[in-house]
Formats: sequence, structure tokens, C-alpha cells
Amino acid sequence: MRSNSQQPEEIRQEMNLKTIVFVCGVAILFLILILRLLQLQYFEYENNLKRAEENRIRKIDVKANRGYILDRNGVVLVRNRPSYQISLLHSQFKTREIRDSVFDRLLRITDNEGKRLLDSASLAFSFERGRWQRFRFQRLIEDASPEIVALFEERGEELPGIEILVESRRDYPFGSQGAHIFGYTGEISEKELEQPENSRYVMGDRIGKKGLEFSYEKEFRGENGLRYIEVNALGREMGPVAGMPFIKPISGNSIVTTLDWRIQQVAELAMPEDAKGALVALNPQNGEIYAMVSRPPLDPNIFSLEKKELHKAWASVALDTAKPLTNRAISGLYPPGSVFKVITAAAGLESNVLMERTKYKAPCTGGFRFGNRYAKCWFAGGHRTLSVIDALKVSCNVFFYQAGLDIGNRRIGDMAKKFGLGATLGVDIPGERFGSVIDSASYEKWFARRGWKWTQGEILNVSVGQGALTVTPLQQTAMIGALATGNGLYRPHFLKEVKGPEGELIKRTEPVKISDGNISEYTKKILLKGLDEAVNAPGGTARRSIVPGVRVGGKTGSAENPHGDKTHAWFAAVAPLDAPEIAVGVVLENAGGGGAMAAPIAQKVLYAYFYPDSLKRKPK
Amino acid sequence: MKRLDWLFMSSLLALIGIGITLVYSATSNTDLIWYKTEWFKQIMHFAAGSLIAVVIVLLPSKFWKNIAWVSYIVAIVVLFVVINSGHVSKGAGRWLDIAGFRFQPSEFAKIAYLLVSSLWLSKHRVSIVQPKTLIVPFLLFIVPFLLVLKQPNLSTALVFTAMTLVHFYWAGFRLVDLFLLISPVMSIILSSVSTLYWNLLIISVFFISIKFKYPLWLIVLIMTLVIGSGYISQIAWNSMEDHQRSRILTFVDPTRDPKGEGYQVIQSQVAIGSGGMFGKGFGEGSQTNLAFLPEEHTDFIFSVLGEQFGFVGTLVVLILFFILLWRSIMICRLHTDSFVNLVVAGACAILFFHTSVNVAMTIGFMPVTGLPLPFLSYGGSFVLTCMILIGLLLNMRLKGKDI
Repeated sequence: MRSNSQQPEEIRQEMNLKTIVFVCGVAILFLILILRLLQLQYFEYENNLKRAEENRIRKIDVKANRGYILDRNGVVLVRNRPSYQISLLHSQFKTREIRDSVFDRLLRITDNEGKRLLDSASLAFSFERGRWQRFRFQRLIEDASPEIVALFEERGEELPGIEILVESRRDYPFGSQGAHIFGYTGEISEKELEQPENSRYVMGDRIGKKGLEFSYEKEFRGENGLRYIEVNALGREMGPVAGMPFIKPISGNSIVTTLDWRIQQVAELAMPEDAKGALVALNPQNGEIYAMVSRPPLDPNIFSLEKKELHKAWASVALDTAKPLTNRAISGLYPPGSVFKVITAAAGLESNVLMERTKYKAPCTGGFRFGNRYAKCWFAGGHRTLSVIDALKVSCNVFFYQAGLDIGNRRIGDMAKKFGLGATLGVDIPGERFGSVIDSASYEKWFARRGWKWTQGEILNVSVGQGALTVTPLQQTAMIGALATGNGLYRPHFLKEVKGPEGELIKRTEPVKISDGNISEYTKKILLKGLDEAVNAPGGTARRSIVPGVRVGGKTGSAENPHGDKTHAWFAAVAPLDAPEIAVGVVLENAGGGGAMAAPIAQKVLYAYFYPDSLKRKPK
Repeated sequence: MKRLDWLFMSSLLALIGIGITLVYSATSNTDLIWYKTEWFKQIMHFAAGSLIAVVIVLLPSKFWKNIAWVSYIVAIVVLFVVINSGHVSKGAGRWLDIAGFRFQPSEFAKIAYLLVSSLWLSKHRVSIVQPKTLIVPFLLFIVPFLLVLKQPNLSTALVFTAMTLVHFYWAGFRLVDLFLLISPVMSIILSSVSTLYWNLLIISVFFISIKFKYPLWLIVLIMTLVIGSGYISQIAWNSMEDHQRSRILTFVDPTRDPKGEGYQVIQSQVAIGSGGMFGKGFGEGSQTNLAFLPEEHTDFIFSVLGEQFGFVGTLVVLILFFILLWRSIMICRLHTDSFVNLVVAGACAILFFHTSVNVAMTIGFMPVTGLPLPFLSYGGSFVLTCMILIGLLLNMRLKGKDI
């Protein structure tokens, strides 16, 4: 039994003993380790050296196949293609002489036109790097064409150390169509590699950078496998190693989108190639997006190109002032123009400021005097005195100026927000912007630097969709659809189903209601009548979107903007009015009037939707 | 006597130099620009670590007693946090991000536990025949142990165990007491290995406890524990699900793992063995260059050493480690302050456990556990821990009360 208070001498004796025991323990254990090292490094040296030198086993990552993107009917929209990399493995050169002769032979390889495939400077660089990284492949030619691959395969025997590696790259059979939706993949960056959620990637892996490729990267990527192969003295693969595990890669999941490729293609053809603008078609009953087009178009195949050309192609699209990389359907902000009058009307009807028969004192004489300001109507001849339905039909500004003053900015703003304006809708591709619906207080904050004050006159702008209002084409389309169904606003989305590598269903998207959007039957009836007459009644602004046999409703817009003389052409339509199935929104920047420019494009999309057989008869 | 121990310092510097050289050799095979390479980062780790060590040396030794409890409580809280929200690296929630720095709270917990255990045991000696003396030390040990185990990080949890055993020895246990203390754990292991060994263990525990004249109640208790834990582990084993069983078997025998940890161990042995007496030379060696060893600059740095510098290289490094540990533990002979002696003994236990387990793993003596080799393995958190321990050792040497 020891006491708690020890004498120094006692402690010293104890420490002397215990430190000796500790040192002995260390010595004994290290001696065992040293004996084992002696066994490995002296007695079994020959054997181990032989094993190391003959170590022809290579551990190889087997990359998983990336999942596909399909349309709602199973059309393959994005798939994979093999891509060949001509690579150098420096450790395969047994002598300097072999190395130098391979270098010379490589320099002399020419394509059919007699042009050298490799220039000496970059080849010398690769060889130099290979000397430091003798056991790593150096890429000489990225994404080689079949002709080049054939050239190297023929010369395989005389080019030891040169190997053709196969990788998988994305392939877009429809070229630029849908490019803004799909996005693209690219080599993972150092910054991305550092992110903890990307711990499973290695340098050189490809990762989704934009669009659906980005949003559903986790689904697409699958799980890499692992195998051990034996290689011969030349480094060529001999086959798997017996007794070593082979872990099969698990292919990534495929995504069935809500896109209807027939409609997408009609829309792609209908939207002029050289225009700037966007088109959205969606189902207002559940938010499924049928088609989405952004102009100018973008060819996603450029992102699969080899590095040198990629830089050129990338520079050309990135520096283009028309910004082809932007998906204008979700990132383009436009004043909503006269399409917004349906919101003004809805706000008025819901608050009982407007009634079906409400008429305003001042008839439309082509303009409206408010204070010392004279605000014009688009029709200089004047619309005379109108009801709300007629005002929607002919898109009279003067009616809505007066209505707007009566209703007030707050009610209009609340109605706009109820139908998804001023906030992101949460579509499942990155880059969505929220636009702006501004109340008087935030207006003053927003424009404080310019010294602008909110005045009653600003309501004149808001009530006809001008001023500080901005929306995306997606918001505009979702808004008109939700107004027509009266069932609320659904989150627009592309993901319909996730399917496993065997085609088994893994996940199905349920519609998500983001706003109730309920309006009274009375309001709805009047709004739909207005939309109906704009299209189908004589004198309507949207006559060019008539689809025979279908009750299409729509609202045109010609939004003034600071970017050009001509207005942005807007058209937002929904059909059939009594049970809406599809809403279409079109905007063309600085193209002129919505009725003349945008409505015919929407008409083609609606026609294709309601008459699918017409597509078979005359394929475009 | 108050001056620096030059034998200690030179072996330490030699180890650090060898470590940076090996990390350079194992990772120079990359495309990275020089200031982003691992070897350069490792130099930075040691620079930062040395700075901290110097600061630690200058602090008064009373400081450690003052912060022991606070740091222990902070460490426990942080371990709780990391289990619940820590960043998952390779399946184990061990990391925590603070202001852009990733660090392992379990490393910090080692130091905190070392201090608090030293503080307690310096005032309260322990004895196996007085179980109430064991209550507090056991609680101090078991909380961080279980939290680290939960991460899950068994090997680091075992570092806590190794330190605790050495501390108990320093604070009053005899070797035979330690043997009885761990006999129930040995019983669990042996009962699943072979019945013969298990029976031998029971018999030797019985005779030893008789021979050393332990009180009857203790003999009964120990025997019950030894026999009972063996039986219970058998029953538990049989009632386990297949996947649970296979997880345990994989830990004991990594060749079972299809991801190929057994492959790593085999390749590591071939790498070391093929180095021969004098090695293949710096930067040479197909094993390490072919990247057969995925963790070659962290857990398998010793294999790189063995391949490139041969038996001479491994022998020199082990001798350097021996000198370091020997000079460190001898600090205990300079002082009568039991707090100082306990800190020194605990720090030595941590370094010794890491070294021997890591080397044993690379030569195929032990399962792949993921314990890095002090001063040689790459890794910021661990370098800092080691340098803090070095700082503590130097501090204790210089500031402790003389005999």
C-alpha cells in the first residue's frame, strides 16, 4: 500500500525503475520490428525484389458510365461516346536509344494531308514531363479522331511506350438543341476537387458544370469500379489477375425529363437562329416543362473538344456580346410588358375595384394625361371607352392606367407575387434569376442613388408591365398558366423520373405547389374571356396564334426597353382555356410587336402539341 | 542539466528531415505547382509546429495545470460536435472545419486528455485493490475514448488506451496489476481466436492473482470478468448479423476487404523487402512510383523509406525513434514533480504507440489501422500534435522542479 505523499527518494527510485521498464519495452518491441525488417530485406530480399520487378499487376480504376438524359417518351437526348487519348508511358522506354527513336518516329507521323500530327515543342515538353513522371500517362493527343487512332494502331509495334487509352465523353445527338437545358461536363477543377462532397473524384474526372448535368451530377456519375490487370513487359494488358477482386463499376442513373422532344424540336425550328430571346412551354397543372429554348443557340459538343480547341471555342462563346452561354429562359430579365395587364386586371377584379362592366371616365384617345405627364397608348388612334375584357383583348394602355391608379401598387404587387413573379420558382437547373416586383418603399431604396422617388405616376408604368418590373420568360409562362388553371402555381421542373442502369424506376418527381394562387371563379371567368378574345375575337391583338379546333387564350406584349429602338416582343398563351394543358411563353429581344413576332412562334408550338400527327406527315 | 538535450534535438531534427525528404519522394510525381505540393505543405506544417513548440517551451509549467480541465471539456464538446456535424472523409466523421482550416478534434483531445489525466493522477494515486481510486481516472478516459470510437476511429481510441495504461503504471500500478486490468479484454480477443489460448489465459490469470496475494474479492471479480467476457463475446458473436460479423473480420483480417487493403499490405511488404540492405536510392523504386500504395505519403511512408533506403534506412529511423523516446522518458529522472513525470510518460506513450503500430502495419504484423508515423507521415493535424508533444517534453525538461 502506497501513501499519497511520497518522499523524493522514493519517487526517484520509482522513476528509475519505471523508466527502465519503459525503455526496455521500447527496445524489445523495436527489436521485433527490426528482426522482421531483416527477414523482409535480407533473407527474403531476392524473392521480394523479383516480385517487385515482375510486379506486372496494375490497379486500374474502371470508370462508371455516365447516365443518359431522355425525353418523356424515351428519346435519348444526351448519351456517351468513346474518346481516344494517345498517351505516353515513359517507364516503358528501356533505353535512351528507344526513347529517342520513338520521339523521331512520332514527329514523322502525318495525317492524310501530309500535316504533322505533333509539333516538336509540345512533344518535347511531354517527354520531359514523362521523365519526371515515368509511371504516369502523358496525354499527347486528346480526343483523337478514328483516323488518327488507326494511324497509331498500325504503328503499335514500332512505338513502345505509346498507348491508346479510351475514355467516355458526352455526346449530344441533337447538337445545339436543348443545350441550355442539358448544360455540359468538363474536367473537374482543383477548386471543385477540394470540396468535401467531391472526395470521390480524382484529377482528370469529368463533372457536370451547368444545367441538368450539374443539377443531377450525383445521379449521373455512378460508382467507379476497380480491377487488377496483368501487363506484359511492353506494358500491354494481358488480362485480369487470378485471385484479385474485380469490382464492377456501377453505371450512373439516367434521367427521364419532362421534355417532349417533338415540341422542343418544333420550338427550336420556330425560334429564329439569329434572334435573341427564349421560349418556354410547360404544363400548368403540374409544372412539367415540355420545351425550353434560348437564343442565340449554343453547341454543347464544343465542351467535349480537346483542350486546345476548347479554349478557342470557349473564348468565342464567352466573349460573344449576344451571350450564348446564358439560358435566357431562366436568366434573362425582361420587362413583362402588356402581358402583365392580366395581373393588373386580376388584382382589380379580386379587390372589387374592377367589375365586368367597369368603364373609366377618360376614353382612350391614344393617350392619357396624368398631372403634367402624358402617357401614350400603343394605338395612336385611340380605343374609346372599354370594359376590362375589351381592354385585355385590344391591350389598351389608357384603361389600365386608370385601373392601376384605382387599384394601387400594393395590390398589383401582391397579385404578381402570388403568381410567382419577383422570386425564383426553383426550377431544377442552376442560374435562375428572380426579377423584381417592387413596392414603393423598396423602389426608393433601390433607386436612391439615382435620386428617384416613388410617385403615383409610377403606377402608370407598373400597371402596363413597364417601369421597375422585370420577369424571366419562365416566370411569365408559369404565371399565365397558373392564372388560367386557378389551381395554383406549380414548381417548374425537368426531372420526371430517375431510372437505374437497368431501366428500373428509382425516383419519380411529385408536383410541388409553390403558391395557392386561388382567384375567384368570377375573376377567372373574366380573365379567360379577355385572353380568349385577344386570340379568337376579331380585332384581338393575338390573332396569329389561332389553333383551329382549340380554344387558345393569350396575351401579347411589346415591352419598351433601353436596349434598342424596337420593343421586346412578348407572347404568353395557354390552352385549352376550359381545361389548360399547356402554357407557352415567347420573348424576342428588340423584335417589335408581340402579336406580329412572338404569337406565330407560340402558335406553331401549340399546333404541334394539339396535332401531333401533323409532325409525322411533314417532317421538317 | 537545465540545458537542451542535444541528443534529443538532433534525433528529432534528423527524423523531420528524413520525413520531408520521403514525402517529397512519394509525392513529387504530380502536376502541381511547387507551393501546392505536399512536400512544401509539409515543410509549412513543421514550420508552424516548431513555432508552437517554441511558444510552449516558454510557457510556465503551472500553465498546463491551469488549462487542463478547460481544454479537456472543450475537447469533449468539440468531439460531440464533430460526431454530429463533422465533415465525412472516407466514411469517417473525423474532421472539423473552422475558419477554413480542417483539423481533427481527436488530435486535440489526445493532448487535453494527457493534461487532465496527468493533473488528476499527480494528486491521486491509483491502486487496483482500491477500486474507488479508479473511478475518476476511468471516467476521464472513457468519455473521449467512446466519442473517438464513435467517429469511428478505433486506432486513435486505442492511443487513449495505451496512454492510460502507461499513466496507471506511473501512478501506482505494478506491471502485474496492468496485466489483470487488461485480462478481460484479452479474454474477448483470445476466446474468438482459439479455445486453447483462452483456457491458458484463464489459468494464468488465476495463478498469477494467487501468487501475488490479491484479496479474495478481487480474484473472484477478475476471474468472473475474464470468463464472463469470453462467454458473452461468444454469445454476441453468434447472435450478430452477417454484415456486422464481416465488418469485424475485415478489421482483423484486411485481406477480406474487396477494396484491397490486403493488397496494400502485401505491396507494402514487397516494397520494403525489395529495398534490400541499402535500398534502391532516393527517388527510385518501382513500388512507390507505380503508386501501388495509395496512402504512400501518409500511412505508408515507412514503405517508401524501406524501398528507397533499405534495411540501413529503416534501422537508422528506428534507432532515431529509440533515442528520442529514451531521452524523453529519462526526463522523469530529473524531477520529483509527479505532474511533470506523468505528462512526459503520457507523451512518450503516444509517440511510442504511433510509431510501433504504424511500422508493424507496413510490415504485415497488424491490420491496416490508419495511424500515421510521427514526424514522417504527411498531415497537418498530426504534425501539430507531434510538435505540441515535443514542446511539452522540452517544457517539462526545463521548467520542472529539480530533485
